[in-house]
Amino acid sequence: MAKASERERCITGIEGLDNILGGGIPTHNIVLVAGAAGTGKTSLAFEFVVRGAVSGENGVLITTVESKSKLLANIPSLVFYDEKTVGKRITIMTLKDLLEEAGISDGVAGESVMDMLISMVEKMVVTAKAKRLVIDSIDTILPDQKEERLDTYFLTKLSQMLHEKGSTAILVCKAETAEGGIGSVVDGIIQMGNLERKGDLLRTMQVPKMKGATHSRAKYVIDLTSAGVLVTTLLKGGI
Amino acid sequence: MSEDLHSRVALKLEAVGPSVSIGLEIKIESYFDIVRGLIEDFASKNGMNCIYVTSSVPSATLNSALQALEVDTEGLRFIDCVSHTMMGAIHRVDNTVYVENPSMLENIMLKVEYFLRLAGDKKTIVVFDSANSFAIHNDPKILSEFFTIILNSLKAREAYPVVLMIPDQLKVEVKEMLGMVCDVIMPIEQDHQP
Ligand SMILES: Nc1ncnc2c1ncn2[C@@H]1O[C@H](COP(=O)(O)OP(=O)(O)OP(=O)(O)O)[C@@H](O)[C@H]1O
Ligand SMILES: [Mg+2]
Repeated sequence: MAKASERERCITGIEGLDNILGGGIPTHNIVLVAGAAGTGKTSLAFEFVVRGAVSGENGVLITTVESKSKLLANIPSLVFYDEKTVGKRITIMTLKDLLEEAGISDGVAGESVMDMLISMVEKMVVTAKAKRLVIDSIDTILPDQKEERLDTYFLTKLSQMLHEKGSTAILVCKAETAEGGIGSVVDGIIQMGNLERKGDLLRTMQVPKMKGATHSRAKYVIDLTSAGVLVTTLLKGGI
Repeated sequence: MSEDLHSRVALKLEAVGPSVSIGLEIKIESYFDIVRGLIEDFASKNGMNCIYVTSSVPSATLNSALQALEVDTEGLRFIDCVSHTMMGAIHRVDNTVYVENPSMLENIMLKVEYFLRLAGDKKTIVVFDSANSFAIHNDPKILSEFFTIILNSLKAREAYPVVLMIPDQLKVEVKEMLGMVCDVIMPIEQDHQP
């Protein structure tokens, strides 16, 4: 019998992140990747799907970027990304197409719309046999932050679906979104940020919350490279 | 005897082997001979990669000096922490990545990691040039933390970590710190002195 304290992990394949998390993201978790513009959210989320594909797990990537080719062009090429093999395991859909197919026009909200959205995402996850789901970003899906009830409704439904399908999700959002009410509803938060030190600007990553895992809460310094997101300790002597 | 100084450097490193962090005491007059010894006689001739972290001489200068000597630079990668701080445009070179300045120590660790990943299993020597210039830009406390972490991590990966130091220009506390973080402090010229 599985121990309640030791949940099965989705090994992200991003070595530095897996180390911080003590092995990976607990399976079924919904994890926010939150941060200011240009902090590396898309890079991290994309690598999550690509690393999965490399290790044989299919992924679904829903993106606000207008087209797949533009998405790939925006992301500096990863040395382990191969369109012919890895690319096959990744289903990419633009958010615009998703909303259109779901018959949702912009500005519409309500539980029925959320239901529609979830069932569309579910269909994609089932069709793709996806173990990893990324939505980059959810800020446009949940445009009105005052509608917290609806956010919670969406996340609860998504969580149910992930449990049924055995999948793990990364949702990208702005820093403020994670600080709001939905931060307490999701299972985990990965904060991307900047740290200024004597005029130098370092990229940082920190995990303040991850249900089902004993993890480091320290701030780490990261680099976005063609070998993926690299992580190292923040030197203490410098602050 | 300066003529074969570079081959002597290689012999000394070969005698020590991997996973040992070395503080290499050099004299400023023999700087280029030592660099050549590390890159050509040791790395290149043994079919190894060399990650050369420079916070003293711009990588472009080192590159042209090596080219003039017709040194094989196939397995050589530069992490250049000086060129950004100097005025003028940087000519981007394939084998070089730039770190804005020598106080961005975490970024140096990340760039070393980057080159190690790209190299896969290949044996690698990692040179830090030099403790003196790093000490100008960083206080001894953070420098000691930096060297402790990166040297240990390189040792764990069976790399050959080498820190260049010009001892007569080093503050006592930095020298002591290097004595702590390096497994061996190796003087280069002393052997041939009477
Ligand atoms: N492999 C890489 N090598 C070098 N630079 C990179 C790499 N990956 C990303 N970058 C740079 O880092 C920046 C941020 O990347 P990314 O798009 O992942 O951030 P983001 O948080 O998603 O930004 P936004 O808020 O605009 O969506 C970009 O400007 C990009 O050029
Ligand atoms: Mg983005």
